[in-house]
Formats: sequence, C-alpha cells, structure tokens
Amino acid sequence: MEKKGWDGFEIGAMLRSFDGAARDIATTLPENRPYSQSNLFKASVADWRIEKPLFNKDYCIDCQFCWIYCPDMSIIARDKKMVGIDFDHCKGCGICVEVCPTNPKSLLMFPEQKDEEQALAGWPKKEKNAKAEEPKED
Amino acid sequence: MLEIRWHSRAGQGAVTGAKGLADVVSTTGKHVQAFAFYGSAKRGAAMTAYNRVDDKVVMNHEKYMRPDYVLVIDPALVYIADITANEKESTIYIVTTHLSTEELIASQPKLEGKKVHTIDCIKIAQETIGRPIPNTPMLGALMKISEMYDIEFFKESMVKVLKKLPQKIIDANMIAIQRAYDEVK
Amino acid sequence: MADTMELLDIEVWDGNMAASQALRQVQVDVVAAYPITPSTPIVENYANFEANGYVDGEFVMVESEHAAMSGCIGAAAAGGRVATATSSQGFALMVETLYSASGMRLPIILNVVNRALGAPLNVNGDHSDMYLGRDSGWIQFDAYCPQNAYDLNFIAFKVAEDHDIRLPAMVHQDGFMTSHTAQGVATLTDEAAYNFVGEFKPMNDMLDLDHPVTHGVQTEEDWHFEHKARQQHALMTAVIPKIEEAFDAFEKLTGRRYNLVEAYDMEDADVAVICMGTSVETAREVAEEMRAQGIKAGVVGIRVFRPWPLEQLAAVLKNVKAIAALDRSSPHGTVGTLFNEIAGTLYNSETKAVLTNYIYGLGGRDLTKAHLVSIYGDLKANMDAGKPTTPLQQYIGLRGPKLSFF
Repeated sequence: MEKKGWDGFEIGAMLRSFDGAARDIATTLPENRPYSQSNLFKASVADWRIEKPLFNKDYCIDCQFCWIYCPDMSIIARDKKMVGIDFDHCKGCGICVEVCPTNPKSLLMFPEQKDEEQALAGWPKKEKNAKAEEPKED
Repeated sequence: MLEIRWHSRAGQGAVTGAKGLADVVSTTGKHVQAFAFYGSAKRGAAMTAYNRVDDKVVMNHEKYMRPDYVLVIDPALVYIADITANEKESTIYIVTTHLSTEELIASQPKLEGKKVHTIDCIKIAQETIGRPIPNTPMLGALMKISEMYDIEFFKESMVKVLKKLPQKIIDANMIAIQRAYDEVK
Repeated sequence: MADTMELLDIEVWDGNMAASQALRQVQVDVVAAYPITPSTPIVENYANFEANGYVDGEFVMVESEHAAMSGCIGAAAAGGRVATATSSQGFALMVETLYSASGMRLPIILNVVNRALGAPLNVNGDHSDMYLGRDSGWIQFDAYCPQNAYDLNFIAFKVAEDHDIRLPAMVHQDGFMTSHTAQGVATLTDEAAYNFVGEFKPMNDMLDLDHPVTHGVQTEEDWHFEHKARQQHALMTAVIPKIEEAFDAFEKLTGRRYNLVEAYDMEDADVAVICMGTSVETAREVAEEMRAQGIKAGVVGIRVFRPWPLEQLAAVLKNVKAIAALDRSSPHGTVGTLFNEIAGTLYNSETKAVLTNYIYGLGGRDLTKAHLVSIYGDLKANMDAGKPTTPLQQYIGLRGPKLSFF
C-alpha cells in the first residue's frame, strides 16, 4: 500500500473495506468485489510460503473440509465444488492437507518451485489398509 | 447584595429551601445564587447553605460570606455550629427553637445583643406537613422579618416551585409558611 | 418523537442541571455513563428525561468510567450523537479511552465537572482532572457559571460534529462551585436549541452497511506519526475558526458573547490575573474594586483551553505590565500549567510583562476576594519594580508557613 503523507488519507485511523458502495456483498464473488487498496484482500502473502499445497481433483470428494479449516480463506470453492487454491493468500500452513480425508489425499504439500504437471503425474497411489494386514493377536 | 446563610442538618431541606427561595426571587427579575457546603456528609451531619441576591448578575463565587441573615433550621445547631461566624453588626438571626427568644439567648450567650428572632419550625412542620422538614416554614418567617415580599405573593410563587409535589403536600406547606409568618417573634 | 419541555425564560439551575438540559435539547442518541460526584446529577437528570419521554435516545448503564467512554466510542463510531459526564477519579480511569476517541476522530461531548484527584480522596472542585486531559487531543471548553455550562454544550456539539472538525470536546465546569450552585440561566426553547446544533450528520459510520469501515486500526512507525500529525493539524488550524463561527452564531441567537480568550477590563490594564472557572468571575468583581482604588486591573479568562488560543491571548496581553497566572492544580514538580502556557505564549512577543504563578484552591479551598486583592497588590509592586518582587510560584489560601518556590 502506498505510504501517503499526513494529508493524503481519510481521518480517524479508519479504513474502508471497499471502494464506493458495496451492496449485497455476500452474494458477490470475492473476485468481483470492489475491495479497496487498504483491504487485506489486496495484500499478497504468497512469499511467506516455503511449501505449497497442490490439488488433485481426481481424488477429491468435495467434502469441503479444506474450505472449512483453511485459516486464510484460500480454498476456492464454487457451488460446493473445490476448484483450487488462492495462492495470493495461502501461507502454506498445510492444514488443508492434514484434514483431507481421501486416499490418496487430494491435497499434498510440495516445494514452492515444484511444477504442477509433474506433481500430478507423480501423485501417490492408494495406500492399502495397513491395519487389515496386521496379524490378529488373539 | 443580600446574603443569607442557612445552618441545617443534611436532609432537613436547607438546599431545597435555598433553591426554592432563589426560584421565587428569580421570578421577580433579581439575580440569585444558591449553594451549599457538602463534603462527604451523611444525613444528619451539620451543614451550611447559602443565598446571594443582587440587582446585577452574581459573579462572586467565594464561599466566604458575611451574611445579612442567618437562618438556623435545626434547634441543636445553635450550640454545636458556629452560627455567628463572619457576622456583621447588622446580621439578623432567625432560629428554630421551642424556646422563647429570651430563653434562647440565655442558653447561648454569644447571641447576646444581637438581632435574634425565634420560631419553632420543627413543630410547625410536624403539625402541618407531618414531617420535621423545617425549610418552608423558615422561609415564611424570613418573609415576615425581612419584608422581602408580600406573603400572598410569596406563597403563590412557592406553589409554582413545589408544583411537582402532591397537592396535599403543597397545601400543607402553604399552611406551614403562613403559620411561621404569623408566629415568628 | 420526544416530548418538548416548556421552560421559563430564566430558570434557576445549577451547573449540572444546565448541562443535562442542554443534552436533552440536542437530543443525544446515546449516553453511556457511570456516576461519580459531583458530575452524577448530569447523567441522573438525563436518565430521568429519557425515562419520562423527553429524549428518544438510549441511556446505557455501564460498570466503570472506562466502560462509559468505551461505550461512547462504540456508539459514536456506529454513527450517533453521543455524550457523557464524569469527574476526577472517574476521568482518570477514562484517560486511556480519551486518546482513542480523539485519535478515531469521534465527536463525543464529555461534561467534566472538575474535581480534585486523590490521594487524599476529596470530592470538591479543583482543576487537576481538567489538566490531566490537556494532551488527550480533545477540544476543552471552560465554563465559569451555570449559564456557561448550558451555552458551551451547544457550542461544543456544533463544533465537534462538524465534518471539517470531527474531534471530541469537553465542557468543563467547577465541581460544586458551578455544578451545585443554582443561578439564573437564560434558556433557549427546545426548538431553537436543537436547530442551533442541527441534526446529527454521520460520517464514516459503521451502521452505513453499504460502506463498511474498520475503526480503531493499528499502525506502527509507518503510519502513526502521520495520523497524529493530521489530528494536530485539525486541532491547530480548523478548530479555532469553527469555534469563532459558532460563537458568532450563538451571539446572534442569544445575545450572549463568548470568546476564545475572555478579556475583562483589559483595554488599558496594567496588571492582569489569568485564571479559569468560577475564579474568573470572582476576580472580575475584585478587578472592579481595584480600579476604584486607582490600580488599572484586568482579568483574563481562558475559555478554550485546548486548542490553546496562543495568538488571541498574546494580543490581549500586549500592553500589560504584570501578570499573575492562577493554577487550581498542584503542578507536582514544576510551575503551574497556565504559567507555562502564558510564558510560552509571550516569550517571542514584544510583551515583556513580569509573570508570576499562584497555586490556589486545591480540593475546593475557597478563593476569597481578599486573596485576589493581595495578588493584585503583588502585581502592582511587580509592575513598579519592573521585575518579580515575590518568588515565581506562591501558594495562597494555604495554612502553615508561607510556601513558595523559585
């Protein structure tokens, strides 16, 4: 955000969420909202990340766990379908991967520089149920 | 400038009395001031209240006063409060007591040689209003001694000041004022 | 719709009732309050008006003065006309939130009934709490009598709520000496009073749902200085013209004239007493008496303590030869505040008057006319000598050996 001089901003340590009027904001998709420059939505935290989550839609069951648990609202979902990750606001915490219930997981952490196509090509296979193979003790 | 000091106990209505007097005087176009010394006093503690009356705006805010009238509305304060403090030669005392003026002066020698009037406001209040609130009768006595206002005008004005009280209480106050006016010596 | 109240042209009101009636007449939306002597009757009377249908607003009872001002801040940020009252220890507890209110540019009106700060605990009037508020970024008006307490509330709302100002304002009156002293107060009709201040116009209010705002943000070294500078700029440039405008409009409406610096008998004065509160009026009577004795005495009352009317005061003091600054607060380790302010006002000016300081009236101690006569006597001697003939700081009305410093 531009560092304005003392006479260059509105009074009262007050910040606006949007530029101009914002009606029915709940039904407006984030990318269509007139977020103001001082709104944190306009700030990118992408460079905080060391690892990034990548999404494999082949295994996703649209349970929305990742969408609920993400602390930065960085899971993009439309019509209750997971569509991807908002990499401007994702800090790479890995919670979405932790809570993903599919087998294999539909979200996995990769180094920031990892190529997405390569990652999808090398996605792990379904794990066998380890418990079922354990010998019964009695 | 006319200056009045009230000696009272917290709860006996000296502030209301001083305020009521100020209300009446104000309606006649004069400028008034009514205040009191409070401290963290409780009901029953000796206290003083004050009036100033003048033809021009009262700008003096000092608490120090050399009163023209000293109104004592509790009988015991003659003995325990410094009722003659900062007096002038012309200061007039009106004291609530069941004693005659002569008996009062005999019991409190420092009133010897001063202009002292007596009236039993406590008794009048009990017999008319039904409670020992001696403030309004004292105003009746003051009207008689000071000849400040015609008593009928004063009573009419006090009815307006007391207008928020029940009619029965207002009527009783008017009787109390008139009795004190008639009985003060 | 709130009921109107028929008032006499002159009502005998104490300063507290005068302030309460002003709050009623401007129809405050929210009063969040906690009681403390001697300001309690202001909010008590207001609650009474509200309960009896004379006010449409909300009265919020809170658990402390800190909460009272916090409630006012919330209500003001939400977009309402807001006021409260306090004194002394309660004011001290409010201090943290006072800075929030001014920094957030919220036009709250706070009636401060000036009272001493303990220890020792004392319910009576002095200016310790008023001085405590002087760096808080609020506009500070000072009343000398119940009439002023009534009038200055209207001025305060009109100035504070103006969109060029948007700063909170305090209306000060002396505990007991004004707050509990009944005097004649010339009243305005409900309609005239309300119209003078006008309807509240919200700005950046949280209840404007189409324009969501965040109030009370955090800034670090990257923004804080700019915000404080902006606040100071408004206080220093916008407020004084707006107050003068309001004083002019008020004079047109009522015939009563107020000035940033009240100058009495100052046109040809050789010696002047400068003070605040009820002392100003008492000093005026004494100045008249001094003039009868051939001393050209004047009185200067500070009507607007913040922003400090530096230029106006310098102009009033231009030709004076000896000045006494009377401070009703213990300066605790230096000269009194008024002494300091006046010294700062005159230091780079042509006026080379002898300036001395008196500490008086702490905890409600009476300032008598006799005290003021002795001060004018000192000033006359200082004028004749062309230098101080007394120590710079003297205590008056104090028991025991004479106390003075510097």
